[in-house]
Amino acid sequence: MMPIPVGGWEVRVHASGYPACLRESPRPPRELRGFGDRTLLRPGLAIVGSRRATPYGESCARVFAAAAGERGVVIISGAAVGCDMAAHTAALAVGGMTVAVLGCGADVDYPASAARLLARMRTDGAVVSELPWGTRPMPYHFPERNRIIAGLAAVVLVVEAGLPSGTFSTADHALDAGRTVLAVPGSVFSANSRGCNRLIQQGAHPVADVSDLLGELQAAGLVPAGFPSSERGFATDAGGGGALSRLEAALAADPMRPDDAARLLCLDIVSVARMLMSLEAQGTITRYPDGRYGPFVRP
Amino acid sequence: MTQGTVTTFAVSGVDPMPVEVQADVGQGLPSFSVVGLGDAAVMEARDRVRSAMRASGYDFPNARIVVNLAPATQRKHGTGFDLPIALAILVATSQIPRAALSGAAAVGELALDGRVLPVAGTLAHAVGAVRIGSVLVGPAACRDSVACVDGLAFHGADTLAQFKHGLPDVAGGRGATASAHAPSADIAAVVGQQSAKRVLELSAAGELNVLFVGPPGAGKTMLARRLPPILPPLEPEQALETAVIHSVAGLDERAVLGGVRPFRAPHHTATTAGLVGGGTPPRPGEASLAHNGVLFLDELAEFGPAALQALRQPLEDGAVRLVRAEGRVTYPARFTLVAAMNPCPCGHLGDAARGTCHCSETAVSRYHARVGGPLLDRIDLTLRVDRVDPDALLDAPVGESSAVVRARVASARAFAAADDRPVVRLLSGAALLAACLLTPSARRAVSASARTYHLSGRGVTRLLRVARTVADLQGAERVEESHVQEAALYRAASL
Repeated sequence: MMPIPVGGWEVRVHASGYPACLRESPRPPRELRGFGDRTLLRPGLAIVGSRRATPYGESCARVFAAAAGERGVVIISGAAVGCDMAAHTAALAVGGMTVAVLGCGADVDYPASAARLLARMRTDGAVVSELPWGTRPMPYHFPERNRIIAGLAAVVLVVEAGLPSGTFSTADHALDAGRTVLAVPGSVFSANSRGCNRLIQQGAHPVADVSDLLGELQAAGLVPAGFPSSERGFATDAGGGGALSRLEAALAADPMRPDDAARLLCLDIVSVARMLMSLEAQGTITRYPDGRYGPFVRP
Repeated sequence: MTQGTVTTFAVSGVDPMPVEVQADVGQGLPSFSVVGLGDAAVMEARDRVRSAMRASGYDFPNARIVVNLAPATQRKHGTGFDLPIALAILVATSQIPRAALSGAAAVGELALDGRVLPVAGTLAHAVGAVRIGSVLVGPAACRDSVACVDGLAFHGADTLAQFKHGLPDVAGGRGATASAHAPSADIAAVVGQQSAKRVLELSAAGELNVLFVGPPGAGKTMLARRLPPILPPLEPEQALETAVIHSVAGLDERAVLGGVRPFRAPHHTATTAGLVGGGTPPRPGEASLAHNGVLFLDELAEFGPAALQALRQPLEDGAVRLVRAEGRVTYPARFTLVAAMNPCPCGHLGDAARGTCHCSETAVSRYHARVGGPLLDRIDLTLRVDRVDPDALLDAPVGESSAVVRARVASARAFAAADDRPVVRLLSGAALLAACLLTPSARRAVSASARTYHLSGRGVTRLLRVARTVADLQGAERVEESHVQEAALYRAASL
């Protein structure tokens, strides 16, 4: 048995510091180990999504985490690559509170690319796990980890998920625990949003903008009622029928490659290249890792 | 006098170094020795020379024969010394007129029946003969190739017997005439792929290096093969430079002499020596064989890391410098690199047509890391290519032919040359900035894209090079905002 690392803490299921919401959830972990502020282990908003996120998913995670985080809602996620990291980072950036639940020991940096984020969260937020100190990440740890995320959260927001997706296990645990499940709709052509769209079809509440989210957070009691929510929507209609706005609208609906955009809009590749660059400069469109161009919100 | 000398060349890299073949036929126990650091092939020349002389109706002297290859400190390789050794002995024994061979250099391998056979590197001998102002005697089969060397008097021989009355007649070679471009590689046959075709055009205009990233079956190889036909044909001196390398490597150099740009596509199992040159004796690698042409590396990430990193020097300097125990060798290697790779180990990342890819995040980044940043830093144009949508394939209009694109490329190059600028790939630093003459809005666009895309210094250089090439194709003196905007489309992937 490893000793408790410096700065770490352990709490058993019946001890006083154990989060009540988690204790009431099905199969609560017998012991929680972690770093950071234990008072953050209270009902919050879990933001989860695909590890192989598109900039669309990461943008959504960022925007919703920032909106909830600056209103004092604890943002809970799994510190995975993609949507999870985007949510934690955005919450920290607005001075919000955030908790990472890991599928390895709370003192282990996994994934390696999250090492700096985790180091910061161990002091400015909280990093917890039910696994013994020093446990290496194993594939079968993660569905169990998702049960804790769902247990800690009052509301679970799925920002981007394909089909099949590990994110579904979080949604399933959340339903078992009686939590509200929200999902961000995506293009019907996007394989990366198929899971979210399926969740909505099965009854998850769609979240189309920040005020939708704030409404749900109010209903769950995480944000005081009547909180001013004059938040912007996302549909930036530049107006006019110019080629630039037609291209922007086309890419917002369905990310595509420059060649396909040129064909669709009957333009030559050179002018499409120039328009893509100016849309990127505006920060509304970005290049996805697979070479397509699609919607994006700059961090 | 019982001595005779004939000039020949030892080829070091692609450089012909004059060698004097001295034969001494003297008294003593009959023997035949060759001194002067020849390799096994040179030593075996003794048996070939003896048989060839007898078969051609000469007497092989029953005496003590010593042949020296001077300078005797330099290593000598290959069978090209057979003919000079035989001629030196024939001169020493006065079986052929001494005057005929003064001022002549010779090269050729001998068959046992006296035939004179072609050897690798004959073209390098021809260049050397012109350099020292002598005529060249060699295998008649090489007459077409060496006819492309200006100012060379070439005496082609089929057999050793032809030397009985002096040198054979000067043979008029036809010169090399190859149909410049195979019609099968016409760019008009590429349907869709507008941006890829544009990238090829930019690459041809500025000699810029290209990386195509895409799933299997997207047509990356097919696209790469379309690059040589849109390049302007080789200038005569470029053709000769490249042909000498091909000749030294023992390849057929006639197509290159006809102006066809070389297109080399080594398999990804190529070794470092195979790719940049090496071995004993040193031989030019694929990078040098692609000199003045295109080096195509398919499946870039599958190449050995050492072999890939060895490409950095030729990409930077346009030459390969090998340092070996027996000395230094330099091979010219100025080529346009066209590389292709899959986006991930399974190849289907982001490939809508073939469902999902199951490669983990780390596997993908490890796959990309195999290529290495320093090599990717030398690639100016990066483009994602994908399979063309079947609908697009059916209603796509017929594209422009290679000839049309080649004309545009030629006028872009002419535009740069009229401005007293070298081809764009050779520009960097202050010279590049001066050549760009950025307009104020273009300058803003460059700094905006450097910020948006987190470009490094090298990244900005690449952006400017591409923008300069775009401007050249448009015939614009100054680089404008729209040129920079287009250039940004071909920036490196942020994976």
